[in-house]
Amino acid sequence: MPLNDADLVARVLLEDDHHAFAELVRNHQSPVRGLLRQLTRGDLALADDLAQEAFLRAYKNIRSFRGEAKFSTWLYRIAYNCFREEARKRKELVGIDETKLEAEPDPQTVDPALRHDLMHALQLLPLHERSAILLCCQNGLSHDEAARVLEIPLGTVKTNVLRGREKLKKILSAWGPA
Amino acid sequence: MNDQFEGDWLERRLRDEMPYINDDGFTARVLQQLPATQSRYSVRAAVLLCLTLLASIITYFVSDGGRFLIEAVYRLASLPLLFVGLLAICSTLLVTALAANAALSTARTER
Repeated sequence: MPLNDADLVARVLLEDDHHAFAELVRNHQSPVRGLLRQLTRGDLALADDLAQEAFLRAYKNIRSFRGEAKFSTWLYRIAYNCFREEARKRKELVGIDETKLEAEPDPQTVDPALRHDLMHALQLLPLHERSAILLCCQNGLSHDEAARVLEIPLGTVKTNVLRGREKLKKILSAWGPA
Repeated sequence: MNDQFEGDWLERRLRDEMPYINDDGFTARVLQQLPATQSRYSVRAAVLLCLTLLASIITYFVSDGGRFLIEAVYRLASLPLLFVGLLAICSTLLVTALAANAALSTARTER
């Protein structure tokens, strides 16, 4: 029977079990890397570097995880902090850079035409709205969890999601449902 | 088309657009970078505990069965009550300041 996150964290804490931590990385690498890819506007190399840094920080600070939030929420928060630190150095991660929209296509694309439009639409949103939309609408976090990750008030998250949705709807209206 | 439908549709599309990312050696790369020092912390803690115990035992025998402790308690009991109270308050403030400092540095590390 596979162990849940709490059991794996306990093993890392008590026995410094690298296998347990590897299991945690395997379980969460896809959503964390996915989020960072979106935040970095498709810069796969940078996103993976930040994801590695996030997991390393999680390992070093695992004693500060008290189980008040889900492990994934705690991990998203670390990953978002890594991104924010990088964004302070690279202004293009926050502002809109049209050249990034022509980034190489992802081989795992489901529907290339729609994906490109959606990526385009997402990347046109300001960072605070994009982050809120990604966490709440794409990664399935509650508004409360997103507020913890982004370290902003709950009301601000709700506003950012609403505004982001409205903007996305406008941008995507050309191929939305009739 | 109502707002709820549009919201659901948008969320569904966003989730569809988030394919599973294959590990492709990512976990192995993270594991390679893990510090191998954490297990040494428990060894260090055990060594410190043993040394503390050893020092306590030596002190006990050297000081004639811990006689100095009894004398210190007697001396403390003979001090004025106001002085003992002040000493207690100062000690409490010192411990609180140290604990707050430790909590703040832990929070900083967590960020």
